[in-house]
Amino acid sequence: MIDQINAILPQTQCRQCGFQGCRPYAEAIASGIADINQCPPGGNEGVIELAHLLGVSPKLLNPQFGQHKPKSVAFIIEQDCIGCVKCIAACPVDAILGAAKFMHTVITSECTGCELCVAPCPVDCIIMVPLPVENEQSLSPVQKYARTQLAKRRYDAHCLRKEKQQVEKLERAKQKRAQLVKMQLQSSQQQ
Amino acid sequence: MDEILIAIEVAYATPEQQVIVALDMPEGTTVEQAIQASGLLNRFPEISATDLKVGIFGSVCKLDQPLTQADRVEIYRPLIHDPKEARRQRAVKR
Repeated sequence: MIDQINAILPQTQCRQCGFQGCRPYAEAIASGIADINQCPPGGNEGVIELAHLLGVSPKLLNPQFGQHKPKSVAFIIEQDCIGCVKCIAACPVDAILGAAKFMHTVITSECTGCELCVAPCPVDCIIMVPLPVENEQSLSPVQKYARTQLAKRRYDAHCLRKEKQQVEKLERAKQKRAQLVKMQLQSSQQQ
Repeated sequence: MDEILIAIEVAYATPEQQVIVALDMPEGTTVEQAIQASGLLNRFPEISATDLKVGIFGSVCKLDQPLTQADRVEIYRPLIHDPKEARRQRAVKR
């Protein structure tokens, strides 16, 4: 069921619903914690699809969580970028290419338009650029599906990598502590 | 005996054009080998082959760094302005 709900969600990973991503929101819907009308990027269309799937009556998007907007992508004004990596850390789908003290660039085809990179930028050099409406409307369902699948894959890979890094960090900290204890033991024995 | 292949990507981006090349490379492939295999140096002559600045997922690494499954090798471009100088100028303006 969670997968079916997640398949309807736009995979923007924007957290406007109040959860850490589309999948966590799908889990919350499945367990009854969250309502079906909390996803602004999905819009009323998305709410209707969710209602169908769950066999409940459709409702309007809850404006408390935001307004449905045409799809945009982030764009970095290179004149101002200072290479601080804050936007890269914020991006849930690894759509920004760059490193500390090097130019940061948004990979347009990867960007979901979640806007999570905009606020962390200390020099306000990220703007949201709406995609041409006619291009968006001419997208076939298959193309749209491919796009959400890409975003989902990127988000999953991103989460997996972060998890791995966290485990490695804890492991290093553990080893350091063990070494420290050993050293303390040795020095107390010498005394 | 079959070699173990790992799926990696090599990426380069400008504001106008961003390219991600997906490759299956043998285990132990280095960053440099992946970049060579990607063909990006030929596609973008502006990339300095002698002074490559590269990394994996936002952290700078050396060219001889071996890759692991799902790594994205990134070729970086320099900043346009020195951040310290830019800050100084912003401070003067205020």
